[in-house]
Amino acid sequence: MLGGLIEANVENSPAKKKDFESLGAKVGIFVTDIDEGVTLDFRKGSLVVHNGLQSKRDLTIRAEAETVMNLSNLKIGLFGMPVYYDEVGRGVAGKLLQGKLRIDGLLGNLATLNTVTRIFSVQ
Amino acid sequence: MAVKAFSDQWATLFKDEVNKSSVYKQAARGWKWTVGLVVEAEPDKNFPEARGVVMDLFDGSARDITVGTAADAQKCDFVITAPYSRWKQVATKELDATKGMLQGKLKLKGDLPTIVRYTKASQEMTECTTRVPVEWPDEK
Repeated sequence: MLGGLIEANVENSPAKKKDFESLGAKVGIFVTDIDEGVTLDFRKGSLVVHNGLQSKRDLTIRAEAETVMNLSNLKIGLFGMPVYYDEVGRGVAGKLLQGKLRIDGLLGNLATLNTVTRIFSVQ
Repeated sequence: MAVKAFSDQWATLFKDEVNKSSVYKQAARGWKWTVGLVVEAEPDKNFPEARGVVMDLFDGSARDITVGTAADAQKCDFVITAPYSRWKQVATKELDATKGMLQGKLKLKGDLPTIVRYTKASQEMTECTTRVPVEWPDEK
């Protein structure tokens, strides 16, 4: 489903397509309450989705299913940054502070995270 | 009094629950597409024929919810397909619909960004399902 969502987002938005074509990173998404994960291998214009968490990931996002869906609902604001001050954004920020949303590899990969968030966003 | 699962009476009660829900009304503002639920047959569970639930949803309300064939449901803008027992798990809160879609247990056809945008509406709709007292064919 996540691969399909990214494909649809990139098809519908030139800005997301530009981000997609510039992104080279391995991003793991582990949905904690169903104990399942995928690795999104962004290869600058193509995407390979692997079942499970592959090695050598740049970032790993660990969260419950509802939070993963909320990440897709983050609005994108000024300078392409996610908006954390509206209801959805505050919810996501809250999960981060509570430790219910973990992002491994964040230090040094903030730009990658922002690009992934923009591609993921349905807003 | 319980109604038979996926019967006309069930559809009427389900529609009433959706239209009573202020949470759904708010969360589904702007929604303007039909949703079909395909309930695949499981003869060993006393559900011998596939059925389709057709939901005409518009801007926070259910204009109509009817039960027909699987083919009826497959004509909708969004189609969610699963076997009978999976739908029963959703209706009895054993399976969360969001998790089910992420796991591929509920197969979704339609514009994914749109359905993700309305996650809250879909969650409340699932809650509405759980409020309808149901007689399940495999429990007879």
